Amino acid sequence: MTALIVLFAAAFYIFFYFTYGKALERNVVRADGARPTPAYTCRDNCDYVPANKFVLFGHHFASIAGAGPIVGPAIAVVWGWLPALLWVWFGNLFIGSIHDYLSLMASVRYDGKSIQYVSGELMGKSSKYIFEVYIYFTMILIVAAFMGTYGALASKSPEILTASVLFMVAAVVEGQLLYKTKLPFWLSSVIGVVLTIGAIVVGFVWPFIKCPNIQLLYMFQVIYIILAAALPVWFLLQPRDYLNSYILWGGIIIATTAAVFAFRGFNWPAYTSFAARVISGQPSPFWPTVPLVIACGALSGFHSIVGSGTTSKQLDNELSGLFVGYGAMFMEGMLSTIVITSIGAFGFTVFQGVADKITAAGFDLAKMQTDAAYFGQVGAEVINSTDIGIGGALGIFTKSFGQMLNVIKVPVKLGTTLGGLWASAFVLTTLDTTNRLARYAFQELVEPIKKVSKGLHAVLADRWVASIFAACLGWFLIAKGGNAYTALWAGFAGANQLLASIAMLTAATWVKKVQKVGGGMLAAVLIPTFVLWTTVFVALVWFLFVIVPVTAAALRVILGGFVILMLVLDIWLMYNFFKSWNEGKQNKA
Amino acid sequence: MKTYFFLGKGGVGKTTASAAWSVGLARSGMKTLVASIDPAHNLGDAFAADLGDRITHVADNLDAVEVNIDDMIRAYLDELSVKMKHTYSYMSAMNIDGYFDILKDSPGIEEYATMEAIKKFVALAQYDAVVFDTPPTGMTIRVLAMPRVSLLWTEQLVKMRKRILATRGMVENVQGRLEAQVDGETVVLSSDEKEDPIMQELVAYREELKTLKDMFSSDQSYVSIVTMAEDLALLETKRIIESLGKFRIRVHAIYLNKFFAMANPPDEIKGKMEEQERVVARMKAEIPGIAVKDIPLLRNSPRGIEALFTVYSKYLV
Amino acid sequence: MGRLLDSLKRGFRSFDKGMREDATSLIRKQLDEEESVFALLTMGAFSGLPSPPTGVLLRILPHMSREISVMNKRSAGLDDVFSQTLGTFDID
Repeated sequence: MTALIVLFAAAFYIFFYFTYGKALERNVVRADGARPTPAYTCRDNCDYVPANKFVLFGHHFASIAGAGPIVGPAIAVVWGWLPALLWVWFGNLFIGSIHDYLSLMASVRYDGKSIQYVSGELMGKSSKYIFEVYIYFTMILIVAAFMGTYGALASKSPEILTASVLFMVAAVVEGQLLYKTKLPFWLSSVIGVVLTIGAIVVGFVWPFIKCPNIQLLYMFQVIYIILAAALPVWFLLQPRDYLNSYILWGGIIIATTAAVFAFRGFNWPAYTSFAARVISGQPSPFWPTVPLVIACGALSGFHSIVGSGTTSKQLDNELSGLFVGYGAMFMEGMLSTIVITSIGAFGFTVFQGVADKITAAGFDLAKMQTDAAYFGQVGAEVINSTDIGIGGALGIFTKSFGQMLNVIKVPVKLGTTLGGLWASAFVLTTLDTTNRLARYAFQELVEPIKKVSKGLHAVLADRWVASIFAACLGWFLIAKGGNAYTALWAGFAGANQLLASIAMLTAATWVKKVQKVGGGMLAAVLIPTFVLWTTVFVALVWFLFVIVPVTAAALRVILGGFVILMLVLDIWLMYNFFKSWNEGKQNKA
Repeated sequence: MKTYFFLGKGGVGKTTASAAWSVGLARSGMKTLVASIDPAHNLGDAFAADLGDRITHVADNLDAVEVNIDDMIRAYLDELSVKMKHTYSYMSAMNIDGYFDILKDSPGIEEYATMEAIKKFVALAQYDAVVFDTPPTGMTIRVLAMPRVSLLWTEQLVKMRKRILATRGMVENVQGRLEAQVDGETVVLSSDEKEDPIMQELVAYREELKTLKDMFSSDQSYVSIVTMAEDLALLETKRIIESLGKFRIRVHAIYLNKFFAMANPPDEIKGKMEEQERVVARMKAEIPGIAVKDIPLLRNSPRGIEALFTVYSKYLV
Repeated sequence: MGRLLDSLKRGFRSFDKGMREDATSLIRKQLDEEESVFALLTMGAFSGLPSPPTGVLLRILPHMSREISVMNKRSAGLDDVFSQTLGTFDID
């Protein structure tokens, strides 16, 4: 079954790559191998430099694949593995990959400008400040949600906590070796990989760092975020990013191998119920809330920023765009598929390992397995319960992953530690970068205050103040919100999908007005755009009325305010879209 | 090498003082150069000789030159312009010629050129002493202050450049030598301080500035003020001493030129003479440690070597 | 066999290049920023910043062409800087 799913997914993606993908390339983008790309026309050998398409695929994929494609599906499996999988396949096929591909190619035609810039060109410029406000809140939500997921995981697993702390040390050492010594690149890389493996093995053999107190873990994370974001990039961020790509590729190869050789049936329910209790323990209807849970893996707006901000400047040929932009998104779908497969096949093995605790907590393990509807009601609670100690969404993933790797004779705990390091390395990197960005976004946001009070502005624009503010706001949300990371995750995913809406609406406008595509191919872009917009809109309304009221009082105002802001922005976007659509204004690409 | 600067406003007799001083030095056996860096030249008049941009022999052991600062600026900018046009030819959008016209009037360019001139003469090894006939006070103070101020900036820029090269070095460690496309040509960007032309310029300039700064404040450098015995001059002199002090430049002597000395002065002059006495007394009291000397109002402006030597031996030493 | 070896070699070379880029992407951005700031500080007279003493400027001006082009590039991208920065530090 595991092999079947993974191989089927591979066949599915490959099939549609060559049919649907090629059709998009031919009829919508009209990629022309003879048209010079910005990598040549604006070549400066720094940002703009043509890259081999395989190399670029690697960069692009490493940029878009973080903790997102792991966390989202791991939360969504409470609906059952099948709905999660279907969204990862079809959401990815009909929305996500088109979104990634079109935003990359639109950017290529606009000299490598970002899709937000293109959106300003096509749909009016009034968006800048709101876009920034909105990005800022998104960052805060990321900080909160990621701190929550990591806290839930690391508080229950000293192995992973130890490995991820040691991994940071390994990254710092790697940075010194790479940039400050004359060691050959291959040697420092080998040392880095050995140190990474060492971190995992030490975590497995001797998990000496323990912190069962989740509040304390949040506090450590806050301190870490603030300090890490103040370091020069070469010290920790860059070498860790570099080692992360080995973890990513190593993890994918090992996991795929294990999944193919596991020959295991799925013991996880295929389908629990339409309104399983996924987000904040509330009945969450699969439509429209699935995009609030699975973002990366099916669709992520941040991909448009990476694709249009960096990748588009290095594309060597328009014909490589499909492979890089579209293919990398499919690859991410594969990654999410593997995550779902490992939970689907081994999730209940994990439950059986803690059967006594599950019973002690008052849940019926046997019923969970036989009565899918019951599982849909209690699944999330079991996974997130601190008494049972699975460790939340990342916990169920890493533990299943460990079980799966056991098929190829890797000790369970070692496999779990590897999976845990995989997820947490990305979470910790994201926390670091997000704080850097939030700091910068905050400085942009407080700019208008300068007119009111120079002194206040000087205080707020100070980078330490901005950094501490962002970290503490995230801390406040997760700590005061009663560890409700699923709600914060949904908020972040919603914001992410809204970002995707901006890109999709822009792409649709571009396709219609600049590319002058009509008929079926236009529908292939327009229909997902509207489906996405409507889904996200309804989902946010649902979130506002169902989730916000049940969150802790401290959170309600911030989260509620933010959701309302997103809704307003959503409508305003649609208004801009129709305005420019009807204007019939000609834009040259 | 010893250097001598005579400071003062226009018309107080700086030229006479510096010319006389240079004659004195030459007579004492030192190989001496006297250079006018004042745009309003009259060193030639003092020597009754035709002086110009070329160093001219005027007496035994004594050479003289008048530097045309404006020409120097022009020549320097022209040279720079050629270099720049070559380097920046791709930047056709920016009007290079226009830019150089701006540079000519850019604040500080005259001071810069004057400092360059001083640097040039000080570097001439064949002289034991160089005497400078300087432009009016304000300008000269700015020139004397320049090495110190420029040094602050240059040191900051060196620091920044170091950081850039360090970052470059990190990338170089992993990616090999960095290259850039400039004007269609591939240029290697070195992280080595010795191979980075900007760093080289900055470091070289810093050393030159240090040398000048040290020279200006060393005991081999003699700065004297030429002024007149008037109430206003007293204040101004004190101000000059103070601001030079900030740059660690010590004033060596004060010459009160055009001093009236008369046995039986008519009433019209009496007030003036009392003022003179008062100023001399106060200068001696309020500016301790600096010799105050007076040079009487001479019947004729001294012309020629002999006349200048007379002034030197009678009044300056 | 020879061709297989050849393409393996090419593949490895691409991998090596890609990894080297991966290991320096952010530092290169930082380098860009530093060079741009250096140019801005020395050429800042154009944008009204206090400029260093003319002497320093005149000395380094002939070698500044790359820095100026970096600065130009940076300022040309300023209308899109927010998204570009977001793109540099990839989230999720």
